[in-house]
Amino acid sequence: MKKISFFALFPLSFIFSPLVYAHHSGAMFDGGSVVEVTGKVKEFQYTNPHSWLLVDVTNEDGSVTTWGFEAEGPSTLMRAGIRKSALPPGTAITIRGNPMKDGRSAAAWIDAMVDGETINPRNGFAVIPASE
Amino acid sequence: MGSHIELMNFRFFFFVISAFSLFLPATSLWAQDALTWQDKDDNWPAKKATLQSFGEQFASSMDLYKALEQAADGGESLDWDDMAKAPYDWSGIYTRTGGGLSFDPDIRGNEMTAQLTSAGAATRQRKIDQIDSTGGEYDPISDCRPPGFPRWATEPFLHEFIVTPEQTWLVNEMVNDVRRVYTDGRDHTLPEDAYASANGDTIGFWHDDMLITHTMYLYSGQYQRGTQPDYSDQVEVVERWRKVNGNTLEADYWVFDPVNLSQPWYSRQSWTELANEDNFLRIRYWDCQENQNNDIIEREDGTSQFPDFDFIENDAEVSNDEAVR
Repeated sequence: MKKISFFALFPLSFIFSPLVYAHHSGAMFDGGSVVEVTGKVKEFQYTNPHSWLLVDVTNEDGSVTTWGFEAEGPSTLMRAGIRKSALPPGTAITIRGNPMKDGRSAAAWIDAMVDGETINPRNGFAVIPASE
Repeated sequence: MGSHIELMNFRFFFFVISAFSLFLPATSLWAQDALTWQDKDDNWPAKKATLQSFGEQFASSMDLYKALEQAADGGESLDWDDMAKAPYDWSGIYTRTGGGLSFDPDIRGNEMTAQLTSAGAATRQRKIDQIDSTGGEYDPISDCRPPGFPRWATEPFLHEFIVTPEQTWLVNEMVNDVRRVYTDGRDHTLPEDAYASANGDTIGFWHDDMLITHTMYLYSGQYQRGTQPDYSDQVEVVERWRKVNGNTLEADYWVFDPVNLSQPWYSRQSWTELANEDNFLRIRYWDCQENQNNDIIEREDGTSQFPDFDFIENDAEVSNDEAVR
């Protein structure tokens, strides 16, 4: 039972931290640092209130580390042009984020390169008005 | 004789003034632009100051609301035919136009436009100190608890606004949050039967294409995270909503809180209808149990609600998984 993957633990880890209720502040992420990894999409948790993109990254020794990248929920991603179908499992991706302060393999998603195009989940906060 | 005529003239003048004064409250409201919409333009700072001063004339939110209601002759009755008219067509998906995490969208960061009491200032300082010392703060929305009102006005994400003749629903996507404004002429819940809630009890009336509301019976809360101040459970709010063009809703807010505010806090809130040509933007259910906001519940046997996680130090011995044993 305890032989669980990091990502089984990661979502739960907040409960053990004094910052358990502060995730909306982004306090667990190091806003001054940027991590970039290249891998393949493992899973896109397209959920409210926050979405998670899991990316399998193959290390030099052949082992695989699953990275998690947090973004806003579906409506904000849709406003950024990132639909669930955009990142199916197996999609090659290079992705950047502000890493966890404690060194675990997760980050606040900044942007990503997929098929030569940059996608940015934070664009979802742009207010693009309807025509009057 | 001359002095008698002067006395008569004075009495007549006094009578006219006295009679006129009977209508002064309503007249003065109109004259003070209280019921005339002020566009947010280059002259906005001066207009905003006027609207702030206007609110400060009233000792309570109810005094303000009743004055507006009286000046509007109790408001206008709408019917379903009216719903097709532009001022009442609030359909579409909206989001907050701007303002970030500031209750007053005209300010940024640590700026303040609220006039706090000493108690309100002390509460805010404790909040700032807490953030400085821990790097974080408790936010009820992390548990999918409601942000509460008036913080409701500052929340991002998607909104819908549904106007009907007798109720208007103000919907925030986040935590499935709906405010109901009763415009059918009912009054607030009687004080002896009232109970507090996150969004309180809201009544309103329509006047000149504007929806004027009054909200009370609220929980205490914070206007937003960070350096934004707190409000007490005595907070009450008067709003004045208007669709100012084809894709923008705006609302004047006068927040009264005798505990934390020395004067009512005026701000102009705004929501913009989003482009949604493919109709993909839809408000969905918001459930914190779906992902990383999960709380872990430890059962008596040390397991949790998650099959891959338990609280048992050496669980190999008790595992049902033969491979683990």
